[in-house]
Amino acid sequence: MSAPAGTTRRFRIFRFKRGDDGHRYDEFDVPVHERTTVLEALRWVQLRKDPTLALRHSCFHASCGTCGVRVNGREGLGCVTALADVSGDTVTVEPIANLPVLNDLVADMAPFVDRFPAPHPNVRESEFLPQADTPDDVEGYGRFEDCIECGLCLSACPVAATDDTYVGPAALAYAQRMLEEARGTDREAILDWADSEAGAWRCHASFECTEACPSNVRPAQRIMALRKELGSRKKVSS
Amino acid sequence: MSVRRGADPGLDEIRKGREEAGPVPRKGVGPVAWFDIRRRGLGHFAFSLNRITGLGLVFYLYLHLAVLSTLLRGEDAWDSFLGVATSKFFLLLDVLLIFGLLAHGLNGLRLALVGSGRAVDQQKALYRSIQVIGTILLLGAALRLMGSE
Amino acid sequence: MAATRAPSAAPERSRSRTWAWTAGSGVALLVLVTIHMVAHHFVVQEVGGLRSYQQVLEYIANPVIFVIEIAFLVVVTIHSMLGLRSVLFDFGLSERAKRRTDRALVALGVATVAYGFVLIGVLASRA
Repeated sequence: MSAPAGTTRRFRIFRFKRGDDGHRYDEFDVPVHERTTVLEALRWVQLRKDPTLALRHSCFHASCGTCGVRVNGREGLGCVTALADVSGDTVTVEPIANLPVLNDLVADMAPFVDRFPAPHPNVRESEFLPQADTPDDVEGYGRFEDCIECGLCLSACPVAATDDTYVGPAALAYAQRMLEEARGTDREAILDWADSEAGAWRCHASFECTEACPSNVRPAQRIMALRKELGSRKKVSS
Repeated sequence: MSVRRGADPGLDEIRKGREEAGPVPRKGVGPVAWFDIRRRGLGHFAFSLNRITGLGLVFYLYLHLAVLSTLLRGEDAWDSFLGVATSKFFLLLDVLLIFGLLAHGLNGLRLALVGSGRAVDQQKALYRSIQVIGTILLLGAALRLMGSE
Repeated sequence: MAATRAPSAAPERSRSRTWAWTAGSGVALLVLVTIHMVAHHFVVQEVGGLRSYQQVLEYIANPVIFVIEIAFLVVVTIHSMLGLRSVLFDFGLSERAKRRTDRALVALGVATVAYGFVLIGVLASRA
């Protein structure tokens, strides 16, 4: 990665290793150019300055969801967050909030995944080109769910900031998608799961999850659709 | 996490390593995250304001009941209170009360709609409308109250 | 479908009614608080629209007003308690703490309505 001479940004990066008493912030001056992304800058730090910096990434194009971080307090995927869009003299990079830190910028995603009801199919019927002819041995076209399980929505949620029992936007949005397309799941079981104080009724409609989502899942809108369905249920379980 | 020499770590050691996971980063200590609206969207602002005004109004409910108890002590006690309550400072507090009622009430109407799955895609426009309507009502009330001196 | 992982250990009753009561009481309050605020701040031609002692007694002696003010008291207390409950539950309370919170808020709500009822009743009787 080359940069015009003299163009650097100061990075302030969250550091934590297991066994440490607490976290700290390390600062680095990173050479950047007009199209440098946050992930590229972090990789530069890792390769050139501090090989102990732990970060997670994979696809470099916003489809794997592994490089989620907070940049100056705002959730985003590092691979598609351009530094040109990040204001301020110093760029502070922190792991996503509301999940335990494993190492530096790497969050433990197990508590995130554990919030989802089981099973957890990731493929759905494709809504594009419904009139398309499929080959004889193919029933229909499928696609992956929009949700890339990056955890940015949970990080942005003000309720998850104080309540670790709240299942969170991703899990609730997933539940609503199961109502849209059951894929062998039990609708009533999904509704029972969502119909709890730690489920759909804990959401306070801040819509921060939708603001943070990089993948057009619109979790807040899905939670409200879920609540509409719950509200019209005749059954009251006890 | 220790690794046995010459052997794979095993699932139990991996799980044990995971149990030693670090701190959970939050946006602030405790409920600070509810009220930190920096770099947050309109919905978060609405949520924060709703929460602040809600808690403020609960406080006001009990303050109001306590103040109204003055009435039980008779006309002199109430007149004495009115002498304070009609001062400019207290009239301004009344304007603040009306702000709280409008902010919480009008946004509550939005939440009743959106929270039951109606007009969800219009939630930002609804909030902008509430801000305009609320401002107009508040200005009218403030002019009336402060002008009554 | 395989067994779903409930977010908390114990299965819970439907919570849509709790939310419905919060929203419903809130909508009712839009009417009741408007009546209350207009009556007590914008009707009487005094500073701040505040009523004198005699004016308060005359106002509350009206049976329609009495019923409206009692209704306002009850509805605002319900909405306040449910709102406090929502805020407190956002702290991720244990099941035991939630039950205690519920009991405490019910007690506080009952005490609030009872005190307000006595207050309004005594004033109405003085008119």
